[in-house]
Formats: sequence, C-alpha cells, structure tokens
Amino acid sequence: MSNETATAPEAAPAPEQLPHGLGVSLPQADSRAKTEGTFPYAADLWAEGLLWAAVLRSPHPHARIVSIDTTHAREMAGVRAVVTHEDVPGTPRHGRGTADRPVFASEVVRHHGEPIAAVAADHPDTARMAAAAVIVEYEVLDPVTDPEQSFEAEPLHPDGNLIRHIPLRHGDPDASGDIVVEGQYRIGRQDPAPIGAEAGLAVPRPDGGVELYTASTDPHADRDTAAACYGLSPDQVKIVVTGVPGATADREDRGFQLPLGLLALKTGCPVKLTATREESFLGHAHRHPTLLRYRHHADAEGRLVKVEAQILLDAGPYADTSAEALAAAVSFACGPYVVPNAFIEGWAVRTNNPPSGHVRGEGAMQVCAAYEAQMDKLAKKLGLDPAEIRLRNALATGDVLPIGQTVTCPAPVAELLQAVRDFPLPALPKDTPEDEWLLPGGPEGAGEPGAVRRGVGYGLGMVHMLGAEGADEVSTATVKVHDGVATVLCAAVETGQGFTTLARQIVQETLGIDEVHVAPVDTDQPPAGPGCRGRHTWVSGGAVERAAKMVRTQLLQPLAHKFGMSTELLQITDGKITSYDGVLSTTVTEAMDGKELWATAQCRPHPTEPLDDSGQGDAFVGLAFCAVRAVVDVDIELGSVRVVELAVAQDVGRVLNPAQLAARIEAGVTQGVGIALTENLRTPRGRIRHPDLTGYSLATALDAPDIRIVKLVEERDVVAPFGAKSVSAVPVVTSPAAVASAVRAATGRPVNRLPIRPQAAVVTGQ
Amino acid sequence: MPPSGPPRSALAKMCQSCHVRPVSTYRTAATGGTRWGSGKGQPVLTTHAPQAAQAVTLPTTLDEAVAALAAMPTAVPVAGGTDLMAAVNSGQLRPAALVGLGRISEIRGWQYQDGHALLGAGLTHARMGRPDFAALIPALAAAARAAGPPHIRNAGTLGGNIASASPTGDALPVLAALEATLIIAGQEGTRREIPVSHLLAGVDMLRGGELIGYVRVPLLHAPQVFLKATGRTGPGRAVASVALVLDPARRGVRCAVGAIAPMPLRPLDAEQWVAQLIDWDNDRAIVPEALNAFGEYVAAACIPDPAPEPDGSVPQLPPAVLHLRRTVAALARRALGRALS
Repeated sequence: MSNETATAPEAAPAPEQLPHGLGVSLPQADSRAKTEGTFPYAADLWAEGLLWAAVLRSPHPHARIVSIDTTHAREMAGVRAVVTHEDVPGTPRHGRGTADRPVFASEVVRHHGEPIAAVAADHPDTARMAAAAVIVEYEVLDPVTDPEQSFEAEPLHPDGNLIRHIPLRHGDPDASGDIVVEGQYRIGRQDPAPIGAEAGLAVPRPDGGVELYTASTDPHADRDTAAACYGLSPDQVKIVVTGVPGATADREDRGFQLPLGLLALKTGCPVKLTATREESFLGHAHRHPTLLRYRHHADAEGRLVKVEAQILLDAGPYADTSAEALAAAVSFACGPYVVPNAFIEGWAVRTNNPPSGHVRGEGAMQVCAAYEAQMDKLAKKLGLDPAEIRLRNALATGDVLPIGQTVTCPAPVAELLQAVRDFPLPALPKDTPEDEWLLPGGPEGAGEPGAVRRGVGYGLGMVHMLGAEGADEVSTATVKVHDGVATVLCAAVETGQGFTTLARQIVQETLGIDEVHVAPVDTDQPPAGPGCRGRHTWVSGGAVERAAKMVRTQLLQPLAHKFGMSTELLQITDGKITSYDGVLSTTVTEAMDGKELWATAQCRPHPTEPLDDSGQGDAFVGLAFCAVRAVVDVDIELGSVRVVELAVAQDVGRVLNPAQLAARIEAGVTQGVGIALTENLRTPRGRIRHPDLTGYSLATALDAPDIRIVKLVEERDVVAPFGAKSVSAVPVVTSPAAVASAVRAATGRPVNRLPIRPQAAVVTGQ
Repeated sequence: MPPSGPPRSALAKMCQSCHVRPVSTYRTAATGGTRWGSGKGQPVLTTHAPQAAQAVTLPTTLDEAVAALAAMPTAVPVAGGTDLMAAVNSGQLRPAALVGLGRISEIRGWQYQDGHALLGAGLTHARMGRPDFAALIPALAAAARAAGPPHIRNAGTLGGNIASASPTGDALPVLAALEATLIIAGQEGTRREIPVSHLLAGVDMLRGGELIGYVRVPLLHAPQVFLKATGRTGPGRAVASVALVLDPARRGVRCAVGAIAPMPLRPLDAEQWVAQLIDWDNDRAIVPEALNAFGEYVAAACIPDPAPEPDGSVPQLPPAVLHLRRTVAALARRALGRALS
C-alpha cells in the first residue's frame, strides 16, 4: 500500500496536483533550502552590534574550586563582560528532571567541561582568550568514574549519589527453570553528535527582558529555566526556535544558553555563541553507559520462566532525565517477551563522567542488547533456532508486562519476527562479481575472503511513546484559514522528524486546502512540550487535527444550516465544497466570504501512573515494536565487522508519509549500527579523550548497510490520533542487539560489550 | 524537487526568526573593525585587526614559495590544508600568514629520472590513486586510495602527508618500504636530498624556509602491497598498516609497518630472512608455512615481548596489545601472500 501511494508519478505534476493529505509522500517544505545550504541555522544569525561569547569549562572531572579570579579577563581590551556564579540573579541551578545542576560551578566541578564562567567580547577569539585568562584555582579531587564505586563513594552532590532505585518485583521469586543462562553486559557511551553544533544568539529587549534565538527542542521548558535563572518572569524571556540542525537527543546544552542571556542582559548588547565541536562533546548529554547482569530461567521447550537482572546506569554528575531512562530500562528489561516472573533491580547513580540524559531510546536500547544476548544464549543451550526461541516467547496484545501493565495497544511481535526471518538472505560475496565485493575493512581495506565468516542474528525491541509515569503530555495547536491559505501555529519544533510536513498533511486532509504554512516556533505560542518519544506526531498532530476540524465546522456550519443538512454530509476537495448528493457546490473562497477563521485545540492522552515501590504501575501510554535481522561479515583474524544488510519489520500503526517514514527508519538503523560497532566516547579517568569527529567515529555511507524495510504492520492504535505510532526510536533500540547477535553467530564469541571491539570478534586457535 | 509555489519557497528562505537576518558566521572578521559598537555612538573597538590569516601568498614556483617563506618567517605553508585548516577552524592555530602551494604546477605531477620517479610534493591522493599511477607505484596508489573519504583525497597531498608526519599517515609506511628520498628546496635555488626515514625519525629536520619539493621513489617493476586495518568499513584512521614491496633486481623484500609507532617500523631481520626463502627464479614460490612465520616474525619485531622480570617470569602483554600484534601478523602474512601470488 505504501508503495502505491508513494510512487504516483504523473508526467509533469502541476502544483495543484502535488501529493497532499495523509498517507502520501509529501516532501518537506525546507528540504530544498537545506540541501542547497541556504537554510539559516542559529549559527548563521547576526544582529547589529553583536558581541561574541565564550564559556570557560572545567579541565578536571572532579575538583574543588578554591578561587576564581576574573580580573585579568575583565581588563583585556575588547572584553565587555565576564560572568560567574556570583552574577546569577535568580535560581542558580537548573535541570530537566530535578534542578540539581549549577548554572556555573561555584564550589565544586563535577565533570570535565562543566561551565565555570562566561565572557562576552567583540570578537570570538578575544572571548576565547579572555575565558582562558580567567584564573581558577582548583584543588583536584579523585574522580568517581566507576558507577559501581558510586554507592560507597563520598557524596558527589548534596542530593546524594543514588538518583533512583527501582526494585521491580513481579510474580513468584522461587520460580526456577530447567535451563539457566547468565551474562554480564556493558554498553558504551554514545554521543548524539548533532550535525550542527550548538549555537545561539541572545538579544536584550527594551523592557528588561531577553530573547534567545536557538535550536531549542523544548522551548517553553527552556524559557522557564532561563527566566528563573535571570530572576525574570517567564513573559520577559522569549525563545525563538531557529532551524534545528539535527536532533536525536535533547538538542541544546543549557550550559551555554543560560550564560548567553546573562551576558546579553549584563551588556545590553546582542550576544552570540557558536560552540566548537569540542565544546559540543563536552557540554551536551550522552547516552547512559550501562552495566547489566542477567539470569534467565527457561523450561525445556525454551519458554521463559523467570528473569532476574541488575541494571546500573551511569548518569554522570547530574540527574537530568536519568530517572525516566531507568524506568524505561527496568520496565523493558525482559523485552517484548512474555515473562511470568521478573525480578529487576535498577539504579541510576552519579559519577564524575560526562553527563547522561535523553538520547533516542534511552534505557530501552541498553537492555535490548542484553536481553537479546540472553535469548541467543538460551537458544544455543537448548539447540534451538534463535528466531524460534524468540517466537515461542513473543509478546502479544493482552499479555502483561513485568510492570503489571497489560498491553492494550497492537503488539504484532511474532508477525514482525516472521517477516524478517522469512525475507530472502542477501547473496554471499562469492556469488557476486569480484569487483563488487565489499569486505570488512572497506573497499581498500585488508579484508581477505578466506578469513571472512558470515553471521545472521535477530533483535526484537520495544520502546514507549510519550512521557511515562504520570507526565502531563499536552500540546496545543492553532489553525487559521484566510484567503484560501491555511496556517498552523504550534510550538512543536521541527527537529527533522517531519512534524511540519505532517501538520501540513493533516490540514490538507481535513480542510481540503492545499496551501498550508507552518509558522515558526517561539514561546509566545502555547506550549507543545519537548520533541521526543514520538510526542509530536501523537499530541501535536492530534491537536492540529482537532483545530482543523473545528475550523471545518466553522466553515461549513452556515452552509449546512442554509441547506438544512449536517456538516458531515458536506465534503471539501481541491478547494471546492460539495454535498454528498452533488446538489450543492461552491468554492471554499466563496464560503469564506473574506472572513478569517481561527481555532485552537489541545490534545492530551490518557493519564498514566508512576511505578510503585515494587516497580508496578500502568506507566506507559503506548508501545512500539520492531524486529531486525542483521547479516554481517566478520574478518575473524582482524576482528573487523561489516554489516551487510539489516532487514527491518516495524509496528507503525498507520503510515502517514511513506517517504519520511522510510527515512526515519533508515536513520535510526544507521545510528544503531554506530552504537553496535564504532560509537563510544572514551573517558579515561573522567576526561573525554578525543572530543572530535575523528576520534568519535559516526557511521558513514560505507558503514551503513543495505537497509530493507521488509514489512510495516499497520494495525491502528485506537487511542493514538490517526492510529499512528512513533517510528524513530525503536530501530535505534533494536538494531545494535541484532548486529551483536549476528557477530555472535559468525564467530561463536560471546560479544557482551557494545560497541563491539575487534578483539571480541577475533577467532583464535582455529 | 517538485515545483513549489512562491509563498512556500519564500517561507523556506526566510529565517524562522523573522527580524534577525541570517549571514555567515565570520562576516565580522571580513568586514573588520568597522562594526563594533557602531550605532550606539561608542568608539569602534576591536582587538583583532582584520589582517589575521589574510596575508596569503600564492607563489607559482617552488623558489618563489621558498622566498616568500624566508621573507615572512611566521608564515605557514599550506597545500591541501586537510590537517592545517582543521586546526585553524577549531581555534588551535592562528597562522599569521599563509603561503599557498596550490599554484605551483611543477610539484603537482611527476617525472622519470634514471630508474626513479620524481613525485611532486603537491600530488593529491586522488591523483595518486588513479590507474596510471597505480601501474607505476602500486603500493603508494593503494595507500592514497585508502587515505580518507574522497573530499580529503581530493585536497590532501603527498608532501602534506610527509610534513604532518602523523603516525597514521597512510603514505608513510609505503615511502619507508620504498626507501624514498626527499628533495628539499632551500633558499636561492638550493636543493638537498635526505632519506624520508631521517625526516620522520627527526634525524634531519626541515630548516626554516625550506619546503619538501619532490619525493624520489625507485621504480621496482614488481608487485607491491599496502594493507590497512581500520575499525570500520568506512574511511578511518589505520589501527595498523603494512606496506610490502618486492625488489627482484636485488632479490629483496622490504616491509614497513605503520600506525603502531610514531613512525613506520622496518623489520629488517624478517625481511632478510624471508627474502632468502623465496625461490626468485621459479615464479617467486614460497612454502605456505613461511608466510605465517613471516607474519609472526614481523609482529614480534614490531611489538616485542616485554623484558623478563628479575625473577625470570615473562609478563603478559595487555589484551589490546596482543590484538594489535595479531593484526600486524595477519596483515604482514596477507601482504606477502598477495605480493608473491
């Protein structure tokens, strides 16, 4: 179905014949400008008389600040302001979950790169030099870099080292199975590495307020934090969202957003900052490095009896969203399998490692790699096919999760797995022409065909959609129609997920108006919340639909009244209003009669509840599932791995835009390949060793495998607007586990660490 | 792209934040100090004169370039700029002036000279990777093709690879195996010749105002192999690399291992040992076991076992180092196997 709608090629489509409405591949409005390089991002902004900011960051992961001397920096020619913790007029702390992170470190620095002071000067180099001229006397302390040591260590923070502990208890603790497998797994630190580094421009306002131009993905929360920090009321601070150059995580680092506004308020001049790649690596949140211990019990047929696990998340020094990540990790610790008895202990603890926070699929990704490794071990021990053992345990609608929540949404797990299992395998290198071989190590690499082994592995993953545990997930949208043009005002930020395109499609579908604009986002609009976990497709898309329907009623009501029929009997297509019997026909322009129609609506999903003391509760609004089959080639002497193909089957609810959907899945899978093979930010003794894109290897076009979207299961989720599910996160969660499983199959090695190091894929003593 | 109506494209071009107009980040540097504080009646104040990094000389001959460097000792020569400009962009380097070498046509090609090729230092990796060059010096061509993604290969040069002398420079083990020499251009047209290994080992350094002009490489007319192990399928830095060339006239095998030490390592004993096992008159035949042994020999020479403790026990190498040694052994074995097959 998606193919039919995706490719509807007309010889030369006139503008009015462009695809429109839901379920078609409407191209993104800004894709051309982005491809041509003319799209303005925050780093491209400029204002009359602007100053440049630089942030001084801690070179130590853990140290006591003895003194901060800014005299030299202030005296430098061209320097206009230097701010430290003493210059914060309002709340000196911020944070996404708990406000536990200082705007500027005052007594202690708790991670490498923690902001200490900021400078505004008339040139970026002057600002950087002045920041370097701030003299900070440190008393260097021993960093706590091993999360296991954190329990015993001296408190790193007044709030204590334990951020959250969830002891999940579900079922009979004495249950045991015939077959028991154990394992210990480690997941590395992934950096979201946004393509555009952080940047922002702060412009002071005549009323004593300030405007921040930045690529915020949660503008209202950022505004409230900024206002609290500046000691202003929220209406005196405005955040204008600029183009977002890629976001797979909390995009902007408040560690420099807040100083930027402070400097603008202090100098009365616009202040701009563009982070270097190094600052970007130091500042923003990373994926939680995780240590996992598992024990799976199964019966002789391979049915799971009990899962015991311990999950330890390294949160870095501040809480951020670690509590939520831990909830996801503990809740999905058994994966999309039916497990009658589960005993999962999860902890998120503070360390002096770089801060961790929201990165696509946090919590769920780490446990997926571990429970899928356990399933492979069980299959090996029982002599079962890895796909077969997964099928025997697959979750379905109506089953109960270990948190006690019943799965009410579609959960076509078995169907997804069968789809990837039955998809034909790619050809072996020896069956293709020799010059087309791409061996592990790349086209000019050292790969030797005789040392290459092929492996096939599976991964099944799940994520939740929207915030969990009672978070109020609400979004507001306004639709305006005037002069045959519709405009959507909604503070949902386009992060590349395609929300603006979806909003246009929704309005086209509901109102039959082809020309739809989506207004730029700022905090003068009502809040729409952060862009994560498929929120905007669900709540913001839902709000846009409701608003559009209200406009439709306003438009059709007078006509319907005039002709004595209900508005449902009228339909709008291609700018024309016709009645069901074709008797009435008029144009939208005529019916509008020069009027302007506005409607605002909200969408709020059904409420959830927090996990209780034993980790039980209806915590999630919706779940999305995915199955991935990975095919890898491994050079068993060098340990180099090439992912040949990833076959993906995903539970999407409903396809709203086929091209965009495919792009999101491909992007997610590629990010997953990065986690599986190359992406690990190394931090010996708490210091980031190579904060650059040479040391941190993102997947390139050659690393990306052939991605086959084998099946999109369209079983509508009745509680979601349009029945659609979030699509971006679950391929990220699942594909690393599948790649690891395939490497296991190729080498026979355990592979219990991600990313997979070459020495873990070497077969010696053959 | 489908055609889009004027309002849509206008929206796309307009900055999302209406009244702040987009311009390039470093416009301010180009327009100099005229803008600061203006409009508020404040004195124009800047600390950075617009001179910074703008004194660029573009000589067209090697001697002009040397003269330009001598005239301005603080100037930095730049060819492809793939290392230099990254350092400039990240703020680690602020060269007072640049001498661009891109217009010196005499060093962008190669010529033949009594059994040797005289390679211009300005040869790009992309040029060296082409088939005509590969027929001449196959290992150097293979190294050039493996040296990063296409846009880096289009800009990066042979001379730059030598001057940066990065441990992971891909051309370096090949030049070491070929025993290449460098022709260094000095002031007033002087030229001196030093072995590439002397420069890499710091035995003989470039003096002020000197430039690498040419690289003299023997033409051996025999198989050559360059193998590079990286942690990924896409372009990446070498974990270890091996260059191996055969010298049939002297019945020699020359091998260099790159990326595992600050400069390429030559396992001379292993080379001599394996050369006498090759039946040079009979299709260069060798017993298969010798390939394995050669790999082990090279690896042990480059990554030796730790010295025994006073009590006689031999400490174990860490697992990562053992893996590196295995990698070198596999590369050396594969390289010799391919050269002799």
